[in-house]
Amino acid sequence: MLSRMADSLFWINRYMERCDCQLRMVRVNYILDFDKSVTTDYSWQDVLLLYGYLTQDELEKNAADTHAALQYLITSSKNVNSVKNLILRARENARGAQDYITKELWEQINANYHVIMNPEMETAISGQDTLKILDDLCNQSMMYSGVYENTMSRGQGWNFMNIGRLLDRCYLTIDTTFTQFKKINHDVNNPQDILFWKHLLLALGGYEQYLKTFTDGVHNKNVINHIIFNGSFPKSLLYCLTRIKRYTRDVIAETRINGSDILNRKIGLLASKVEYTDIDTVINVGLEQYLIDLRKGLNEFSNDLTRIYFSYA
Amino acid sequence: MTGKNLFTQYATYPNTWDEMCEGSRIRNQYSKVFEDLSKLSIDTLDLKNKAASDLFMNQGITFTVYSDNAGIEKIFPFDIIPRILTGYEWDHIERGIKQRLKALNLFLNDIYNEQNIIKDNVVPAHLVASCPHYTREVFGIKVPHNIYVHISGIDLIRGEDGTFYILEDNLRTPSGVSYMLENREVTKRLFPDVLSHSRVRTVSNYALILHDILNNLAPNQISNPNVVILTPGIYNSAYFEHTFLARSMGIPLVEGRDLIVDNHKVYMKTTSGLQQVHVIYRRVDDDFLDPLVFKPNSILGVPGLLSAYRKGNVALVNAVGNGVADDKAIYAYVPAMIKYYLNEDIILPNVPTHHLSNPDEREYVFKNFNRMVVKRTNQSGGYGMVMGNSASDEEIEGAKKAILENPRDFIAQPIIKLSTVPCYIDGKLQARHVDLRPYALCGPSGIQIVPGGLTRVALKEGSLVVNSSQGGGSKDTWVVDL
Repeated sequence: MLSRMADSLFWINRYMERCDCQLRMVRVNYILDFDKSVTTDYSWQDVLLLYGYLTQDELEKNAADTHAALQYLITSSKNVNSVKNLILRARENARGAQDYITKELWEQINANYHVIMNPEMETAISGQDTLKILDDLCNQSMMYSGVYENTMSRGQGWNFMNIGRLLDRCYLTIDTTFTQFKKINHDVNNPQDILFWKHLLLALGGYEQYLKTFTDGVHNKNVINHIIFNGSFPKSLLYCLTRIKRYTRDVIAETRINGSDILNRKIGLLASKVEYTDIDTVINVGLEQYLIDLRKGLNEFSNDLTRIYFSYA
Repeated sequence: MTGKNLFTQYATYPNTWDEMCEGSRIRNQYSKVFEDLSKLSIDTLDLKNKAASDLFMNQGITFTVYSDNAGIEKIFPFDIIPRILTGYEWDHIERGIKQRLKALNLFLNDIYNEQNIIKDNVVPAHLVASCPHYTREVFGIKVPHNIYVHISGIDLIRGEDGTFYILEDNLRTPSGVSYMLENREVTKRLFPDVLSHSRVRTVSNYALILHDILNNLAPNQISNPNVVILTPGIYNSAYFEHTFLARSMGIPLVEGRDLIVDNHKVYMKTTSGLQQVHVIYRRVDDDFLDPLVFKPNSILGVPGLLSAYRKGNVALVNAVGNGVADDKAIYAYVPAMIKYYLNEDIILPNVPTHHLSNPDEREYVFKNFNRMVVKRTNQSGGYGMVMGNSASDEEIEGAKKAILENPRDFIAQPIIKLSTVPCYIDGKLQARHVDLRPYALCGPSGIQIVPGGLTRVALKEGSLVVNSSQGGGSKDTWVVDL
């Protein structure tokens, strides 16, 4: 397949995955924002830090202003990671790959695009129907996943798309977890109640699963177990990395291009850091360092993937 | 109000051929549609109208208009009432286009090789030499099967008495065929009953025929050639069409940056390394194809492409340099070409054309400017066109001045009242002027034309300009066997 095509497919899914995670997180934050007085002070700071590039002043100003934060995260043209810009770029890539992706998938991305580009969206998002709009956007994002899952042909393109999707998910899981643990200085032994973790777990979409899986023990450790080592949780690092490994092997087997072996080694090494380790080892290394190392490994893998398969320009 | 009233209110223009009505009589080919549509209410028609534009929007069949740095997606307007031709009329058109294309292919082969037609004084040498699209760089290049025009979109119009005239030969990268095909798909949803009652000839095999031709052009008869479409990219206004064709044929859609030339062979950059490309259906204009030969700053093309073409290692569709044959000044010589190469009389006549480099003709045109349309010889898409009957005095003076400066760049033709067809506009049936662009495909086994083509319609009342860039729309075009 064309290198440019592989590149576009990879990025369509990176953007769509990021968009999905972000919408979920914004939605959770919006709901929890109402609980200010009850528990800790929920502000928009975390989400803005994860999905934006604001200066400290702007950050502080927007963090306390729900409307401003929503507009910046959802409809702003200035924020490269706003939902609008993510969908715009996903569509741009889909456009360049229009002859490869299915007609159904193209039409779905196109429908998402027309919704977010609606000129009334900007005011509506901070009006009375915010939750309804966020729900609709989340549903649209899930529609995309469904159409993608059901219509795309399995093969090289599918493998690149999945690598893109899982890679972005990995980054977001790492970054979101990192942000939450930073609040307690990555001190795993400093026990927090479930309300502290609820935000994180809801944002990753694994709250209910967590409650069902971990019925006793310390939340701090359980959360790490869930997010990193729970292979049945689709946002967990174990789930993502083992699958990236598999799709990468498939791509290498199919393309047989010189130098692609290095990808195999890199992703294998990275996955083994999750597969062949346990929570005590992580705590010994230090959670902070562990996450930083994983992130660095992902960067290297991603750079090599780009160099080997997408360098066409 | 039901459709019956709709039709009784239909008013035709004086001295204009209307394709549905002959006086108060409905022509036979329209009678079934007329009958069926009469049963529909205006509300139903409005719903169908809305459904049609939603279909185009959701499928992304749009072009982008840029203003204030924000791209706005627009659809190419579609009118729901089909334009109908009889099988008999169509067979005549088909014969005429085949004859014309045969001659134009021979002309291109001649002009880039022996140039007998110039030596025999049939076409003046100065006219060819002064044509901006005459491409010296391809002189002497042998193209597969001596075919230069593989895909053409020749424009026809219909005069007051119903005669079909050839208006323009588009032999470079004619666009619009995806609209022809999509319009039919939309009609299938809007008027399934009418369509199935009407014995309409099918257009759906277009992509199959084209794919077959492209496969057959591969150098050295390779059994499984790599055929690609070359697009300028997602910002091109016809990008939808490029993806549509790639998808319909199941071949890759590539951009210039996906291709590379090494040792006079063209390769595409794939995830499995370089793969040789044998046939390129290019939707990039000649000037941008190869920065080493043509515009050096083009980033749409592929450096070295022409050298591979010259060696016969890659086939380009359409051939490079075709612009010399669809130049508006050369156009006037097509009847002579047909006589010269085929020894036949022309089947579909030209519109009379005045060369403005000839002082006598120029004087005649200037005297009768209000009955003339002046066109630039090297432009298409309705740009650089002045309609003598509707232009302001200033525009006319400006045109005259420009003509005197560069007479070779202009031709003039008497304004022909294009035929009209009924359109559904603002809840009423209204007469609007149309032209017809059938798409002809020319391969080693001959010329094939899918029945119908694209009907373009000038949606402004009384307007004779059908180009999409100037407020035109399109219609589904039926060829029915009565």
